Amino acid sequence: MTAAPGNIYDLGYRRYEGARLGRAVVALGLLGHTLREAYGIGRGGRAKITPFLLLILNALPALLIVGVQALANQIGAGVPSGPARLADQLPIRHDTYQNVTSTLVLLFCAAQAPELFGRDQRFGVLPLYFSRVLTRVDYALARTGGLFLAVLVVTIVPHLILTVGSLLTAADPLTGLADDLPDVPRYLAVSVLASGLLAGIAAVISAWTPRRAYATATIIGVFIVAPIVVALLSRLAVGDIARIAHLISPTDVVDGLNAAIFGTIAESRAVVTAALPGWIYISVTLVAIAGALALIVRRYLTVAV
Amino acid sequence: MPLVATESLTKRYPGGVTALDDLTVTIEPGIVGLVGANGAGKSTLLRILLGLLPATSGHATVLGFDVRTHATTLRRQVGYMPESDCLPPDETAADLVGHMARLSGLPATAARERAADVLRHVGLYEERYRPIGGHSTGMRQRVKLAQALVHDPRLLLLDEPTNGLDPAGRDEMLALVRRTGTEFGIAVVVASHLLGEIERVCDHLVAIDAGRLIRSAPLTAFTERTGILAVDVEDGAPALAAALLAAGVQATANGRTVLVEATDERPFDLVRDIAADLGLPLVRIEQRRRELEELFR
Repeated sequence: MTAAPGNIYDLGYRRYEGARLGRAVVALGLLGHTLREAYGIGRGGRAKITPFLLLILNALPALLIVGVQALANQIGAGVPSGPARLADQLPIRHDTYQNVTSTLVLLFCAAQAPELFGRDQRFGVLPLYFSRVLTRVDYALARTGGLFLAVLVVTIVPHLILTVGSLLTAADPLTGLADDLPDVPRYLAVSVLASGLLAGIAAVISAWTPRRAYATATIIGVFIVAPIVVALLSRLAVGDIARIAHLISPTDVVDGLNAAIFGTIAESRAVVTAALPGWIYISVTLVAIAGALALIVRRYLTVAV
Repeated sequence: MPLVATESLTKRYPGGVTALDDLTVTIEPGIVGLVGANGAGKSTLLRILLGLLPATSGHATVLGFDVRTHATTLRRQVGYMPESDCLPPDETAADLVGHMARLSGLPATAARERAADVLRHVGLYEERYRPIGGHSTGMRQRVKLAQALVHDPRLLLLDEPTNGLDPAGRDEMLALVRRTGTEFGIAVVVASHLLGEIERVCDHLVAIDAGRLIRSAPLTAFTERTGILAVDVEDGAPALAAALLAAGVQATANGRTVLVEATDERPFDLVRDIAADLGLPLVRIEQRRRELEELFR
């Protein structure tokens, strides 16, 4: 039989005999899909604007600093390496980055989490998910993991730029690397913990608030209202209660976390005056992440589909 | 192995509504209609069978798998088309169906190919690359069917697939369901409140009302002969009835129709002979069949 070019033939329904992947692989697939969705990949152009704008804005200070160093090197003002190197004297360093850009990370959470968690609920897509391979718990964890990775990209990219910049602008790449190396595990730890905390809070609110605008407003509200509550509590309360009150503010916890891991002085006055040991911030973060996961899982176990 | 088997399946919603009431039914492979009025418990039954909803008590298996303990295993082999809207408007049909294929365990390339195949099978061509928000109800119902078929399930559970469709759309959807069940060997359970539609596609009917089983039988049994002859005559119906009664056959005149009880062949000849003797203008003799609607009266 010869087929005329351009004709369309109805091949009809065909059976599928190929591979069928296991639950864990499917869950990882959803996690990856969520990560791409968070950046609007596979969506229209408009969906990419907000996430990429925030990602670039957040990385901009790092790019500028690397540029300044390169420029200083060219005109001979750069100190090549060692404790007196230029990079350590600039205001934007690994240990200060979290404070420089935490607002942008927060905005990323507030903009993207409601889309990732609310959409499936708003448009009733959950029955399609829950009638397939994944369990409700798998779905909740995969979605949350995807958001976490998306936030982690935002927080870690500036650090990577600084590290690469340090390598490239040093007189000799090896000394540049040696200068930066001690900070690598520290910024990895801070980025992972801070991203986990912020993504966790944003995910809980979004999972329980399907309406996108409400979820965004609530997330921003929590981050704005919490410091106000802290300020009030510290006026009213005395002693230890006043000292630990600021732990309800996520931004203060991230600040304390950053100071504890880098061994520097915190930015927030509340954190400095409380003078709590560093492990408290790390513990609070871990407990908050665990609590957030529990609440997200609970939501998807109970939501009617 | 039965497709679906339930045993004393009961579902009570918080607030006291009983959706399923001690339902015991066995559904054999084929195209099966699940009929009942709105609120009879059809959707609840389908959702329990998928493990989307826990039963209050009782037991159910699908394709031999226990719904309570093997939900993820059985869901790989089942396709579900919900009654409600379940399509995100900003996504294209190709993307959504491909995504759903991956969630059913198909690798990325296979998922894309299957999505394209299945969308073509349900009759979506160029439209599949446009956002679903711009689709008509008919196209959306097709997308919903496509996502249920994309992983090549052994069993399809369709909840009111013709909802919101115009008559032409209904015909096409029913033809698609029929083809899927007969040509491709996929077992189908179609829930519907429209008996007229169901009887066009199904081999077997399960009728439920208020969460209880009314009857489960092949379609032919629902419309079986009743043992009543309907004899239409232009006029003289009372005379015909009187003559039949005189000959010892139960008969009642009702307008221009005489209903005759026929337990054997004799009444056929009697009607012919009496009509000829009296010179009655005989229009037709018909064996009465049971109407499907009588189930719910």
